[in-house]
Amino acid sequence: MPLAYGQKSSTYRIESLPSSHLLKVLGFREGTQFTVQSKQPFKGPIVVKIGNRSIAIDYDVASEILVEEVGHH
Amino acid sequence: MSHGIAASQKNPSNGKIKILLMGNPNVGKSVVFSKLTGVHVDSSNYAGTTVDYTVGDINFGNKQGIMIDVPGTYSLEATSEAEKVAVALLEENADVIICVLDATHLERNLDLAYQLKEYPIPIVYSLNLMDVAGRQGIKIDVDKLSEELGSPVVPTISIKNIGLRELMEVAIESSKKQVEPGPKLEDQERWDKIREIANKVQSQVDREITFIQKLENWTVQPWPGIPIALLVLIASLGVVVGGGKALRAVILLPLVRQVIMPFLSKLISFIVPAGVFRNVLVGEFGILVIGIEWPFALILPYVFLFYAVFSFLEDSGYLPRIGVLADGILRRIGIQGGNIIPMMLGYGCAVPAILGTRAANSNKERIMVATLVSFAVPCASQSGAFFALLGDRSIFSLIFVYALSILAMLAVGVILNKMITGRSQPLLLEVPNLLLPDKDAFKKKLKLRMKHFLVDAEGPMLIGIVIAAVIAETGILNEISKAIGPFVQGWLGLPKEASLSLLLGIIRRELAVLPLLEMNLNTLQLTVGSVVALFYLPCLSVFAVLTKEFSLKVALLIGLITTASAFLFGGIINHIGSFIIGFMG
Repeated sequence: MPLAYGQKSSTYRIESLPSSHLLKVLGFREGTQFTVQSKQPFKGPIVVKIGNRSIAIDYDVASEILVEEVGHH
Repeated sequence: MSHGIAASQKNPSNGKIKILLMGNPNVGKSVVFSKLTGVHVDSSNYAGTTVDYTVGDINFGNKQGIMIDVPGTYSLEATSEAEKVAVALLEENADVIICVLDATHLERNLDLAYQLKEYPIPIVYSLNLMDVAGRQGIKIDVDKLSEELGSPVVPTISIKNIGLRELMEVAIESSKKQVEPGPKLEDQERWDKIREIANKVQSQVDREITFIQKLENWTVQPWPGIPIALLVLIASLGVVVGGGKALRAVILLPLVRQVIMPFLSKLISFIVPAGVFRNVLVGEFGILVIGIEWPFALILPYVFLFYAVFSFLEDSGYLPRIGVLADGILRRIGIQGGNIIPMMLGYGCAVPAILGTRAANSNKERIMVATLVSFAVPCASQSGAFFALLGDRSIFSLIFVYALSILAMLAVGVILNKMITGRSQPLLLEVPNLLLPDKDAFKKKLKLRMKHFLVDAEGPMLIGIVIAAVIAETGILNEISKAIGPFVQGWLGLPKEASLSLLLGIIRRELAVLPLLEMNLNTLQLTVGSVVALFYLPCLSVFAVLTKEFSLKVALLIGLITTASAFLFGGIINHIGSFIIGFMG
């Protein structure tokens, strides 16, 4: 499922992602787990929490990141 | 933004020490920098790039030298401009590196920390934000971390000045060492190594969620994040407008009008005989009258308060959150949310705003933001002039002018998005922690910004005022007014003396407004004059920076579009307004 469809407060694991230097250095790699912290109106960015860091990801980029749900708070 | 500091201070000899201060973005590096350096701080552009960095002097015990605040980066792969500058500064060599690590995000920070080991320069790690880490229940074994990294690690709380003295002592001690460059690891190898280190040295105990953590969460949610953002913006506006007005009315105007001016007038009338020359100095548009009152009493308080509020918000880590919330809307006009930060800075001055678009944006976005800021964002100087002109006479006109500026930006944004090819760069950012800005770092930043304002803006403004005084008091103005008067009177409905505004507006944006103060205009004329001034030519400094950053063609094109729109909108408002007044009267 693309991350763009992720639900707030759900936890996901990355299955595949586009090759991007910035994504890589921000810690997005295959197998990385994170929780969706917030979604913005008008196809705004998805904010996710990896550990205790919040990272905002553009909607289109989030559409290219494929994830698998692993839990819901 | 002066040049050449890097060149002149590249390799300080005679026992002076050169320290590179490095680290990820938002780890409190600038706070460490401002606490460790002295009063001589300047930012400069790294030749051949669009990145600025800051250099400061160090005076520690009997050791002197310089510290370079290297742009914050996550890695050293030279894929972004900031990383290229970081690598270039490393290759220019240094005596020691101070690498600031964020104790609350250790694993991510270790990537850069580890890559630095590939250079033959001694490193000292500053494990910063230890207080925040403690509140979040994070424990780090400093000795074990130091052992794993093979270099000293000093725990610090830079904002409270804790650990910084020891950090400098260790850095100076380490600078005497010779080090061999470490092995170059493949990405995956390094990441595995880092995870192993992080697991070894770090442990987490559960703590209650603090208020700051709750606020951090709220400010990235549409609700209550958007209402909070609006409140913050309204409060900021209140401080700048209300505070500026108070400073002006209570302190600056009385000081200028009742103390300084009478004194100067008396002094000049003793020295200079009555006539044209005395008028040029202390006449109605005299250099000394206007040259002191306009910049210092009308403009400076607003500029100062704007930069104070902006720097505070910037250092608190709040601005990127507004970028996240605004991204959905700004994407409609083809630019990503992060651009709201240079656009907000444009309300201070368009020059740093245009330079601020350099960081990470596509060319399309850079041109769009530069055009929008040049076109319809009034700078703090011009806003000061608007408040002086309209604030007491017509609050309605004031609101109208600012509402029109926002509508015009949206409209121009939609059009530009269709006209300019290319894509905007997607938003991808780490939202920094919220924190109370450090006093020293805040003061240094504000000082640097005011210095740039005084150098870049007051000079041209005084020149403009000198020209105004000369052409007004010598009768040249009458000749010019005769030539463009019919257009000014007929189309814009302004008195022919308003030609002076149009002439001076070429030099500085506020000078397109301020001459109107002395002309006894009615509300419609005030509104028309303000609208023309709002859209009119960007000032000479903006024109110069547009030429430098893009090309002369782009600068001329922006100048042409803005001026044409200024006269178009001004005329339309004059004619519709006159029609309505005629209809009702």
